[in-house]
Amino acid sequence: MLEINDLHARLTDGREILRGIDLSVSAGEVHAIMGPNGSGKSTLAAVLAGREGYEVSQGTVTYLGRDLLAMEADERAREGLFLAFQYPVEIPGVNNMYFLRTAINAQHRHRGEPEIDAGQFLRIVRAKLRDLDIGEDLLQRAVNVGFSGGEKKRNEIFQMAMLEPRLAILDETDSGLDIDALKMVARGVNQQRAPDRAIVMITHYQRLLDYVEPDRVHVLQGGRIVQSGDKSLALELERRGYGVVEDAA
Amino acid sequence: MSAVVDFPVKPETRPYLETFGRARHKCDPDWLTGYRNRSLARFAELGFPSRRSEAWRYLDLHRLEQRPMLPVGSGTAVVTSALRAQLAEIGLAEPAHRLVLVNGSFAPELSRLNQLPSGVWLGPMATAIADRPDLVRAGLDTQPQDRPFASLNAAFFADGFVLDVAPGVALERPVEIVHLSDHDGGGSLHTRSLVVAGRDSRATLVEIYAGVGEYWRNDLVELRLGTGSELARVTLVEEGAEALHFGETLATLDAASRLSNFVLLLGGRTVRHETTVRAEGEMSRCDLNGAFLLSGRQEANILTTVDHVAPGGETREIFKGVATGRAHGAFQGRITVRPGAQKVDANQLSRNLVLSPRAAIDTKPELEIYADDVKCSHGAAVGDLDEAALFYLRARGIPRDEARRMLIEAFAREAVDLIEQAALRKHLQSRLARRLATLEE
Repeated sequence: MLEINDLHARLTDGREILRGIDLSVSAGEVHAIMGPNGSGKSTLAAVLAGREGYEVSQGTVTYLGRDLLAMEADERAREGLFLAFQYPVEIPGVNNMYFLRTAINAQHRHRGEPEIDAGQFLRIVRAKLRDLDIGEDLLQRAVNVGFSGGEKKRNEIFQMAMLEPRLAILDETDSGLDIDALKMVARGVNQQRAPDRAIVMITHYQRLLDYVEPDRVHVLQGGRIVQSGDKSLALELERRGYGVVEDAA
Repeated sequence: MSAVVDFPVKPETRPYLETFGRARHKCDPDWLTGYRNRSLARFAELGFPSRRSEAWRYLDLHRLEQRPMLPVGSGTAVVTSALRAQLAEIGLAEPAHRLVLVNGSFAPELSRLNQLPSGVWLGPMATAIADRPDLVRAGLDTQPQDRPFASLNAAFFADGFVLDVAPGVALERPVEIVHLSDHDGGGSLHTRSLVVAGRDSRATLVEIYAGVGEYWRNDLVELRLGTGSELARVTLVEEGAEALHFGETLATLDAASRLSNFVLLLGGRTVRHETTVRAEGEMSRCDLNGAFLLSGRQEANILTTVDHVAPGGETREIFKGVATGRAHGAFQGRITVRPGAQKVDANQLSRNLVLSPRAAIDTKPELEIYADDVKCSHGAAVGDLDEAALFYLRARGIPRDEARRMLIEAFAREAVDLIEQAALRKHLQSRLARRLATLEE
């Protein structure tokens, strides 16, 4: 589903953040990418999602057989790539419900399917909210405006559930959450696990992995993946810290 | 009149003076004839405003000076099917009380004046001059004498509307005034209107301006709010792409009255909208809000002046501007607090979006305070769309253009959403959305 080969990326000021990432994610898998602050985790998420302000200087990214880097951010999303933001953006004046329906209909149009009407949409929304145990008041508010940190993350998971992506990238969705919110996020991710879908969780802590069991764990350090393994790697990191890996690398 | 003029005359006013000699205002009573003559003399003396004058620095009147747009005389409005379609498109879906003016003259067949409750007088200005002369006359001579186009309007106005709400009367459904035009001869349409809100009365008024072709609309509306009265007024300007629109509002607020005024400028080549409020009575409240959305080579200028003469008044202003293409917008707002007008609470906000490198918006909020115990603040900002918000929408699959439109609409709607009457708010929201759908950036 996702093939990253020797990916190098730098900021517009010239600083190189990603220095040769190699990663392969198949359909049905859940991968965790862990690493200390400044290791390039969020840059990797941003480059995959197509955020402006980064320059890919080397390497390739293939997504569902296509050159991901050649696509605009919105096209990537319509092709089924979803990024759960570390810092979801507040958008005053744009109603959450209207925003979601616009996003879903953009995907429907892209796939040549009919747009969904308001009634149909509301039924789907209600079902998803119930699954995730989120209150309906969320719908009437402007996108993320006045949301607490936990509410913003819930909204990201809710959007993921609504958009049903092929590849979901969660950028530190677990950070700053209390245990209830964390469990809710984990439930959302587990509900999304499917044979035709891949999930990449970027996280600083092992905590989320207590609730979502990854198939593969990677350690990102200095802009490179320095170690990969199964879920036991996460436990080892938790016990011994990132310093150990650094020494090994 | 055209042959002999015994007052100083600015050259650019001459064609208008000559037209005045030929214009027929035969039915005018003497007081009105005198008023028109005095106003014409004042216009001739003032001439066109220069860009050195603060109130006109943002508009280019060169074209108008080069090629006069002479007043279209009064007459019977000819109602065509195109005009009916215009009205259906832009008017309220369920009009209760409606007065329509076509090319500046009353169009009875498009109007609906038969459902008015007792205590409410609504009719064309021409009728009011004959039937309610005292109402019309009062206040004429206290109006500011420094505005050339207000004087030109006084000399030439053919018609307009008058709304008089008797003391204590609450008009539940909105009064809708629609100015339509299909005049394409490059002439000017001068309309003059008056709203009198009696003591403790309540009314809602919506004024809509639309048209096709090249014309200059020069409109003046006087608002007199009696003690304890409330007037909610919404103005929608969607003039034709070649039209020039100057709208002037002069309002006086008596004690404890409340004016809530909203203006949305969407169409017209050049639109100038000026509101001047004199808060004469204590504890009056004035909300002046609005937005403009400009593209292509449109220019628009919103000006507000609130003069707090009495203590305890409150003013709230929120204006939003959006310009793209090569459009130019400007907001000038002044709030004056006179000596002795203590405890005035005034706040003014002008926020603007400039979406293309060749578009521009100027904003100039001003406070002039001569009392020491007041609470006054203002703010102004000009910027581009929030890149982070744009990326967030695109990261959910919404194409760039659509995402931009969503953010522009959200920005402008923050102002439109301030309209308290649901039906009017919805109507303006939908006009805004329609305009956005065809916005070429």
